[in-house]
Amino acid sequence: MALGKEQMKTLYRNLVRADHFDKMMMNRIMQGKLIGFYHPGDGAMAAGVGASTFLGENDILNPHHRAHGMAYMAGKGIDVGRYLAEHTGKADGCCGGRSSFHWSFPEQKVYGASGFIGWHFCPVVGWGWASKRKGNQVVLMASGDGSYGQGGAHEAMLSAMNWKLPIIFFCENNGMAIHSTADDMHPMPDISSLAQGYGMPAVVIDGQDVFAVAETVIAARKHALAGKGPTFVEAKTVRLREHDVGTPDLARAEPRDPEYLEELKQRDPLVLATKRVLAEKVLTQKQIDKIIKEAEEEVVVVEKFADDSPIALPSIEELQAGVYA
Amino acid sequence: MSEVRELPLVEAIKEAYQQEMERDESVFMVGQDIAGGIFPHTMGLVEQFGTDRIVDTPLAEVGMYGTAFGAAMEGFKPIVDFMFAGFFLNAASPILAQTAQFRFIHGSQMSLPMVITGACGSGMRLGNEHAMLVHNMIAQVPGIKVCMPSTPYDAKGLMISAIRDPNPVAFIWHLGTMMDRGPVPEEAYEVPLGVAEVKREGSDITLVANGIQYKNAVEVADKLEGDISVEIIDPRSVSPLDIDTILKSVDKTGRLVIVDESWDSRSTASQIAAQVVDVGFDMLDAPIRRVCIPDIPLPGGHMEPYVAPNPDAIEAAVRDVCQ
Repeated sequence: MALGKEQMKTLYRNLVRADHFDKMMMNRIMQGKLIGFYHPGDGAMAAGVGASTFLGENDILNPHHRAHGMAYMAGKGIDVGRYLAEHTGKADGCCGGRSSFHWSFPEQKVYGASGFIGWHFCPVVGWGWASKRKGNQVVLMASGDGSYGQGGAHEAMLSAMNWKLPIIFFCENNGMAIHSTADDMHPMPDISSLAQGYGMPAVVIDGQDVFAVAETVIAARKHALAGKGPTFVEAKTVRLREHDVGTPDLARAEPRDPEYLEELKQRDPLVLATKRVLAEKVLTQKQIDKIIKEAEEEVVVVEKFADDSPIALPSIEELQAGVYA
Repeated sequence: MSEVRELPLVEAIKEAYQQEMERDESVFMVGQDIAGGIFPHTMGLVEQFGTDRIVDTPLAEVGMYGTAFGAAMEGFKPIVDFMFAGFFLNAASPILAQTAQFRFIHGSQMSLPMVITGACGSGMRLGNEHAMLVHNMIAQVPGIKVCMPSTPYDAKGLMISAIRDPNPVAFIWHLGTMMDRGPVPEEAYEVPLGVAEVKREGSDITLVANGIQYKNAVEVADKLEGDISVEIIDPRSVSPLDIDTILKSVDKTGRLVIVDESWDSRSTASQIAAQVVDVGFDMLDAPIRRVCIPDIPLPGGHMEPYVAPNPDAIEAAVRDVCQ
């Protein structure tokens, strides 16, 4: 189903915002103003934005580690100030400064990230099970190609299909897991070919096209809400930079080909989306400039909020009180 | 009080499931072959509660456990049954690295009310994987409670407490106690988590034991009666550990033997010993002795009876300390 103009505007705005947030995180890690790692999402923010923007309030969202979930925040209205405060160990962080990048917003049904890639193939079964019983929500289960090496992926898809759970297995295939290429680590070119073994509907889409992603996920969500079970959406995307800032950018043991990377940049999601909104007269250049300016202003507000928040240094006794409910 | 009927331990557990599932719609069970029932504790429940609440999964512990883990975040109160407790190791990562630590790491915003259960223990010569007790492996991680009943009364009460507790609770039960009969009130009741019980009063020595080792402790105490007066404490929970009840007893007896069906190193036995020495060094009239499994994998075959703690080993330790 084609998107309406308002939907396209919303997607475009969220893509610009996500791109600015990713750049903000890049700048901060380079300046030593971020705790832990940052896994840049440069050039690959369309998939997350497209997948998350039209999620329902009750839907469960599980972002993955690429761009630390920044592409997925829009649809859940995540407070980026509290997110950044968390990532900088501040008292106003979404988890009280305890989690660094293992952030969560449980009230908005973002139950948390983990450093164990593919960890969410475990709870996703229960999220799906509960969602089916509640009947008015779906699960967007985002992950990369690398995580489909985990045995849990099989276990999750098995039960999801046995029980027709309302889960969207949303795989961003950027062809790389740290230094390993998807070509080396998976026998088939499409990760979504795994779905065939479960009889799960699967589709491969252009993850650089924010509009195509949104259309697909809206359809998958409808399918799930109608009780028809899970779908597998594979969004082909790219990784323009190293796995995480500070790690050499290798493919296997060799530096990645700069010419190839340059070629990938030609299909930057923002370039593609801008071309389309202008061509289809969804937005004018003036409106686009305004959106960009607003995103810049949002970054200033977010950074100020995080920077003004005091460093979280609770006593051992306070921490002990937080272990058990 | 009118006479209380007797039930085997496994039936006491089942009654706890039944009563809590009747009381609270959000309680459900997930496991493998629980509808049919490998052990009698789930037998027949599917007829009462249906397959929506007695959920069988494929042979896939991560996905099976995930049904509970994810549903707990969504407001359900799952009981996840690993059949043999050692099988929890197939889902150890989500249990120990995530579930237990989830609440704390995410700013104490979430509660994960769930029960993780399974049977294990020596006595059936099943070999290390089926028999090994896993309570200490789980109890090492903060954020999850761990209990093990020794009597049918405690089994029902601890299970009800575990289901009602807002935290993840591992309820480990010993195969050697499965058919033990004892008084179990018909109404629902709680045995508090983290509270030990003096199960037998004595004056010469404090003997701490749980699971099947509690039975062995009773056998030894009976045998020594008139010679050595043994006070038996059942910790009931190993995390949180009720050290105060143990210290109070040691203050009276001055002697302590701890039985823990587990590897000796880094066990509940060694933890109790360390805490008693920390706080109660002056109470002790003799060194503390621990009766555990030596640090070797628990063999099956004909070796189990003398490798695992047993009445002879317990008696020898008690006599040694009381010399």
